[in-house]
Amino acid sequence: MSDEMEPDQTILETRGLGKRFSIGTRFSKEGRRVVHAVDNVSLAVRRGETLGLVGESGCGKSTLARCLVRLYDITDGRLLFDGNDITSQSLAELRPLRRRLQMVFQDPSASLNPRRRAGDLVAEPLRVHTRLGAAGIRGRVAELFELVGLLPDHVVRYPHEFSGGQRQRVGIARAIALNPDLVVLDEPVSALDVSVQAQIVNLLADLQEKLKLTYVFIAHDLSVVRQVSNRIAVMYLGSIVEEGPSEEVFSAPAHPYSQALISAVPLVETTPGGRRKRIILTGDVPSPLDPPAGCRFHPRCPVAQARCRVERPALIEHRAGRKVACHFPVADGSARP
Amino acid sequence: MMLSVRDLRVSFRTDDGLVRAIDGVSFDLEGGEILGVVGESGSGKTVSLLAVMGLITDPNAVIEGSIRYKGRELVGLPARELRRLRGSEIAMIFQDPMTALTPVYTIGWQIAEQIRAHRKIGKAAALERVEELLAEVNFPNPREAMSRYPHQLSGGMRQRAVIAMALSCNPALLVADEPTTALDVTVQAGILDLVRKLRATHNSAVVFITHDMGVVSELADRVMVMYAGRIVERGSRAELFSDPLHPYTRALLGSIPPLSGEKPRRLPAIPGSPPSLLRLPPGCAFAPRCPVRYEPCDAARPALPGGNHAAACFRVAQA
Amino acid sequence: MIYPILRRLGQMLFVMFGISVIVFLIFFATPGADPAARIAGRNASPEVLEAVRHSFGFDRPLYVQYALMMKKIFITGDLTSFVNRGWKVVPAVLDSIPVTLSLVTGAAVLWVVFSIIIGIAAAATRDSWLDKLLMALGLLGISMPVYWLGEVMNLFSQSRYHDTWLFSWVPPLGYKNFSDDPKGWFLTLVIPWITLAVLYIGIYGRVLRAAILESMQEDYIRTARAKGLSETRILLRHALRTSLISFVTLFGLDFGALVGGSALLTEVVFGLQGIGKLTYDALQSLDLPMIMATVMYASMFVVIANALVDFVYILLDPRVKTS
Repeated sequence: MSDEMEPDQTILETRGLGKRFSIGTRFSKEGRRVVHAVDNVSLAVRRGETLGLVGESGCGKSTLARCLVRLYDITDGRLLFDGNDITSQSLAELRPLRRRLQMVFQDPSASLNPRRRAGDLVAEPLRVHTRLGAAGIRGRVAELFELVGLLPDHVVRYPHEFSGGQRQRVGIARAIALNPDLVVLDEPVSALDVSVQAQIVNLLADLQEKLKLTYVFIAHDLSVVRQVSNRIAVMYLGSIVEEGPSEEVFSAPAHPYSQALISAVPLVETTPGGRRKRIILTGDVPSPLDPPAGCRFHPRCPVAQARCRVERPALIEHRAGRKVACHFPVADGSARP
Repeated sequence: MMLSVRDLRVSFRTDDGLVRAIDGVSFDLEGGEILGVVGESGSGKTVSLLAVMGLITDPNAVIEGSIRYKGRELVGLPARELRRLRGSEIAMIFQDPMTALTPVYTIGWQIAEQIRAHRKIGKAAALERVEELLAEVNFPNPREAMSRYPHQLSGGMRQRAVIAMALSCNPALLVADEPTTALDVTVQAGILDLVRKLRATHNSAVVFITHDMGVVSELADRVMVMYAGRIVERGSRAELFSDPLHPYTRALLGSIPPLSGEKPRRLPAIPGSPPSLLRLPPGCAFAPRCPVRYEPCDAARPALPGGNHAAACFRVAQA
Repeated sequence: MIYPILRRLGQMLFVMFGISVIVFLIFFATPGADPAARIAGRNASPEVLEAVRHSFGFDRPLYVQYALMMKKIFITGDLTSFVNRGWKVVPAVLDSIPVTLSLVTGAAVLWVVFSIIIGIAAAATRDSWLDKLLMALGLLGISMPVYWLGEVMNLFSQSRYHDTWLFSWVPPLGYKNFSDDPKGWFLTLVIPWITLAVLYIGIYGRVLRAAILESMQEDYIRTARAKGLSETRILLRHALRTSLISFVTLFGLDFGALVGGSALLTEVVFGLQGIGKLTYDALQSLDLPMIMATVMYASMFVVIANALVDFVYILLDPRVKTS
């Protein structure tokens, strides 16, 4: 992959994308309140890459994912897919694009209809979006089952008859059935046993290579995200605080939050005494209903200054290919001595 | 010896026959020691500790073997006696702090309830103790937190409240069942720190159940790896992580993606999935997924030998 | 605190307005439902019909009729019956309110107390013979039609065994004012209370048992056990407390409906001139002013009962207050 990115290599782009939810009614005590679940997110996903989206619960990563595939209506900013503005297209207008833009959910047992057989579940998008006949569909389903590592006779099974890993394979087969360009994966391995996670991570890598897929990969498990992503974006309280090539961000995080997040991951230390320095954040993530003024991270930030309390830092490029939203980015950025 | 478990077996009568969830688990625990129990879902790590707590209430459960706490046999102990130990001598922290507290009572009320169940003290004195406890688990404003209901606290705060409750009677043994799994990593780091600190201040022994090898390696003095209801490997933290013996332990460690250094193109994954307890293979339960399986593995179950660092594996025994 | 109450009042007015319009339209605007024809009686000549129509104001536009009726119910209170001319409707309704309230409140006390006892006893002894017996009895209570049970009670207490020591205290059917004769009030109502409560004891006992057993599966019950609490305390303070939330919902709905006239069958069987009986008679003779007044009254009660339930909710479940 060359470093020179031509504009047409961007497949999905958000410009100042935001998602607001209203809580309560005009009649409730606090009146109608607005939550900025996603706030002013500008991202570009390049063809063939995997963009990892990390952050803790409530940071808005899943909401952003749902906005990217238009499961949620976008309230601010714009969303462009392959150069087309799809911010506010109707479902009918979206239909031709829908097959190129798919999503895999965290809990396969919740996202697959328990009363349908696996074969039917995978065939469903083919029936809706293609003109394949019964035989054609059967052939394509068999092909997909092989692709995701399921046995041909698994088509007649019901979701509950599968193990968690196999169920997620069905979910993946369904998502890739229409040869999409981009797949948004929302915590696809989080519900799986550790020994099964690696299989799915490998499967996703294989499929990406074979089918030239682009991924947006959302997870809270940082080591999994590092394994699959070329680039990562770190979210905090609805906004992106850092973005860059995954290796660089992990080895030298520039935002104090990324630094704390990465340092908090418990690691297997084979060398005794090789314990890392850990940054423990005080306090909790503030409520998105009442976000702090200035930098949203400042109440928990170990290096916050007076300026951070009043002025909100923008996400800007602080060195080649690295963006950070911080007035005082970590200079050498080494999280682990 | 604080806790000594010998040949613990827990089975459940089901429509499909007897399911053995725990099969021949034995371990010892000294005062002030942290024992990490690692395993995947269905490995029996939670069931074995619920058995120790006497919290298996399923009428279809059969518990056999011996659990001795400070020399006293707990299996078959009358419910009344067991209740006196539970909450005062042996306390437990659960996985999901969202559901572990009764939603309709305040934090202070719930902690005071436990204190007053075991100590003969008045309401005011109990509430004073609650305030101390909440301060100890790093509540910034303990007095105010006492009057909060569980839903008014964040997940991390709730887990701290549950820990404060567990500590309220100075237990000698603390059983923690995946206490950080439902929490974010930065919150988890704080809780792990707290557990470490409490071991130092209260000198409690801790059994820490988790599926996360990283958490175990940060916290535990000794580690026990479980698979399909049995212990497959046991050792000190240093031994187990620098020189894992059992193929399952090795594979599990290998399948965790690294957070620094070279990124493997593919992860060394374990094929298949954990077996159903209803249909365990006749030999070693890990054999169908094992990369170094050979004939003996399908014939009999390997036993866990004695010693500080040991693995239940024919290959290891052979070497 | 003042704001939610005002909101409640607003909702109440809106609901009552909606109901009054619907009821009014059903009786006046549906084809074939000509109240004048009903009042004038069968085979009335067109002239008579026209006279009736005029004297009752049926020849004026619908909204005028509606406005007049509302004014007579709420402002002047001098609405008179179509059927028994000169009979003031509003005092008739007001007179029947204490009868129905006495009947339903007494029955409610019985059914709440006994269903809680039964629910707890059955849940505590789950799958034992006691649990099975109580649930079978509950089902029996639910299956017995209230008019049948009432007649049987009457048969035993008023005639067949009236002269035995068991039922000799039972006074004749009818209602006695509490202020005139408290003892008589109580004695006349004992049998109706039991009759009405039996069904609800059955329903509520079974519902509560199911709710308690469901709560017993919750994680916080395991926490309570881990705290070393006694099973009794776990059942009463933790499982029952959280189960009461669904119990209260059900209670509010049933109580509101009964006070609003659903206790009709019990009232008829025991000769109590309550609101149910009043509505029933009015419907029989298509006495529109009476129907209007009783329906207004019933809807008011259902809405008030719901408001009370919401209030008890806040006491029972702190999550309601903040969300």
